[in-house]
Amino acid sequence: MRRRLVVLFTALLVSVGAFAADTRYTMRVDGLACPYCAYGIEKKLKKIEGARDIVIDLNAGIVRVTVPEGTELTESLMKKLFNDAGFTYRSMQVKSL
Amino acid sequence: MANMKRSLNRKPWRPQCRVGVAGLALACSVGLLPTVASAHDPVFGLGPHTLFKGGVEVHAGARREQDGTEAECEYALAVKYGITSDWTIGLEAPYLDLSADGGSSRAGRGDLSLSTKYRFWRNDRPGVQESVALMFATVLDSTAETGLGSGATDFIGGLSYGYEGRKWYRWAALRYRRNGTGDNGVDRGDKVLMDLVGGIRFKPTGYLEPDWVWMLELNGEYARRGNLNGMQLTDTGGSEWFVSPGLMWTLRNVAIKTGVQIPIVSDLNGNQDGSDYRATLEIEVHY
Repeated sequence: MRRRLVVLFTALLVSVGAFAADTRYTMRVDGLACPYCAYGIEKKLKKIEGARDIVIDLNAGIVRVTVPEGTELTESLMKKLFNDAGFTYRSMQVKSL
Repeated sequence: MANMKRSLNRKPWRPQCRVGVAGLALACSVGLLPTVASAHDPVFGLGPHTLFKGGVEVHAGARREQDGTEAECEYALAVKYGITSDWTIGLEAPYLDLSADGGSSRAGRGDLSLSTKYRFWRNDRPGVQESVALMFATVLDSTAETGLGSGATDFIGGLSYGYEGRKWYRWAALRYRRNGTGDNGVDRGDKVLMDLVGGIRFKPTGYLEPDWVWMLELNGEYARRGNLNGMQLTDTGGSEWFVSPGLMWTLRNVAIKTGVQIPIVSDLNGNQDGSDYRATLEIEVHY
């Protein structure tokens, strides 16, 4: 019984480790003035497979998104994505979760 | 709103209806420009906003104009598409309801219009977007069978500037409308439209919160005198200026815009009824 519990606990740790491989990108975006216009950003980010926890902070000029392991958001990709949405990408911070 | 309901309930055109050819054509020319407005553009004026790339906008609107004893209502459906984030194209299909003295009225499909807008300059800063765009539209002679269109193909060109911040908005625009000559020989005279608009968002809201922007527009219109088979129509043309309070409410990808144009200066040629008011209510959704 004790051995089974150890195996179960180990499996749980491994699965938590899998979630921890997600990456959160925090991007500074210029031109974010109105919420209605920012809908294009949400729509474009949702096209990225596995993208979740999309946050558009208009007051701070920040857009956050979390993507699963294996998905990388490059500077050039983000520059194009935000330009297609009608805004200007400036920089990003990357944090592994 | 009560007027709008009466208008909606008005019976369609009856044989005894007598709306003069020139009067009707001119009423149509007053007309309601294609709704090339998009997103946070002014309610009546032109703004530089374009859709995001691949974005679709579905737009439904109702406008009413009262000129003395004549009233014109227009209900329109429009669809726009963002080819790029700077270039939008659109198609608008209106339904018109015209009424004149004595309660006579005519209603039916209006002329289709095609529009395009190209934003050629954009300056993004933290919380601010400034841009300048060119627009072009054509109102097609597409309702010969109903007689509710102008009977001619018209062209509209415009230039607009917009400043959009978290709190303040301002726009300026200039449009020129080249009205074609109808089959009946009526040339409605070209029009020049000018807009100066200020807007304010009293409380900066978050992305998923309901957002309110209040606007105050100054809209000027100058129309050249029309002519019929080369003969000038004395009771046509002139200029009018309007002060137009408006409101835009949005929630994520849904927007509702409303406003009323109140005439403050009316310098019309000959014997014409000046505008009493123009009111509009629009809803648009982005996909």
